[in-house]
Amino acid sequence: MDFDLLAFGDAFPRLLPAALTNLTIALGAMLLALIGGTVLTVLRTTGIGLLTGAIGVLISFIRGTPILVQIFLFYYGLPALGLDLTPIQAGVLAIALNSSIFITEIMRGGLAGMDPGPVEAAIALGVRARTIWTRVILPQLYIRILPPLVNELTTIVKGTALLSVITVVEVLRTAQQIANTTFRPLEALLAAAIVLFALNLAISQLGRRIETRFAARRG
Amino acid sequence: MTLDFSVILDNWPLFAAGLWMTLVVALLSIAAGFLLAIPVAIMALSHRRWLRAIAGAYVEWFRNIPFIVVLYIFFYGLPFMGLRLPEPVVGGIALAFYASTYFSEVIRGAVLAVPKGQLEAARAVGMSYFMGMREVVAPQTLRLLLPPSTNTAISMIKETSVLSTITVAEITYQGLVVQGATFAPFEVFLTTAALYWLITSAFAHGMHRVERAAGAAQGSQQARHSLADKYLQLGMRRSK
Repeated sequence: MDFDLLAFGDAFPRLLPAALTNLTIALGAMLLALIGGTVLTVLRTTGIGLLTGAIGVLISFIRGTPILVQIFLFYYGLPALGLDLTPIQAGVLAIALNSSIFITEIMRGGLAGMDPGPVEAAIALGVRARTIWTRVILPQLYIRILPPLVNELTTIVKGTALLSVITVVEVLRTAQQIANTTFRPLEALLAAAIVLFALNLAISQLGRRIETRFAARRG
Repeated sequence: MTLDFSVILDNWPLFAAGLWMTLVVALLSIAAGFLLAIPVAIMALSHRRWLRAIAGAYVEWFRNIPFIVVLYIFFYGLPFMGLRLPEPVVGGIALAFYASTYFSEVIRGAVLAVPKGQLEAARAVGMSYFMGMREVVAPQTLRLLLPPSTNTAISMIKETSVLSTITVAEITYQGLVVQGATFAPFEVFLTTAALYWLITSAFAHGMHRVERAAGAAQGSQQARHSLADKYLQLGMRRSK
């Protein structure tokens, strides 16, 4: 069998719009995960044993199990518990939870490397904990962890392709649909791989640019 | 809604078979991936620009696309080239290639962390480049290799779940089978997840011991006590 360049080229006009689905899902999940990761990080500093213990177990569970199984838990499991979700909602929530955990771990690393001086100063001045977070720690922390956060976004984009398994019509599923009509799976899949590769490359390049802009404020 | 875990007990042979398949595929593809990573890392460390470019393209390509896409390309691509293999073998080969790109970065990082003077000294006493790499640099990378290799291996154990999409009868696939027969998705996928949790935890625990025996990861925890620790030092429970 020969590689059909025509079928390969014809796949792109359909795959490119589908990539917008991946990007939208990824950005939505990233936003939720940033919020979730920040909340988890703040909760971990409360020193309430039961709470930090529960978060510790959750971290271990999410990090120790495949994201595909987590997606199945949300997609098949939650409706059985009486919570009906569309495939996209289930997918976004599963990815967001997974990513929250990785982001809180990124934040933990970022916090440990931060200069304690400003925080000590704030404590000494009697600044409230809430203000310490919002005015002293978080603004520095987000800039500091920008590179691993961009990296996390590319991981999320890779996770969105798994949603094809739960019927979300994104790049990979679109490629499968194309293959079903052209009988040229390899051509469609290679095109899908190139589209996803380009998407992730664009994200990491953009991240590098933003990083250099913020470089002066890092520390 | 009450959870009914009897469906798990009724179907335990399926889960046991899946667990075995996951372990075998993960172990073989991780080992193959590591071996495959060595030439890639050597190319990436070469001072010939074109060798570095090839290794770089290989690594960047695989690292920026999802494993499920890599898997499908192998699944349809190997028969395309006239190679018909059983699904677990196809899945294992795809995972080995995918893993090799991550392992090659780990190896490259470890080699770069060995001071340059070591290889220079080896060259100065008359060893060839490869001999110096093998006899002087490689033994020193071992300690540095272990912790990141453990992380990569755990990621790859988790990636084996994707093989369920090409009908490899590993844990996730068996979970889908049992789910289809019992309509108890929450119990089934919780059990599925628990099995992976067991594997990855046991593996991490075992590797942690190996690391300590090899003298790696002696946490460079400087004793810094600060008022700000309450905010800045999270989860220190594992420090000693």
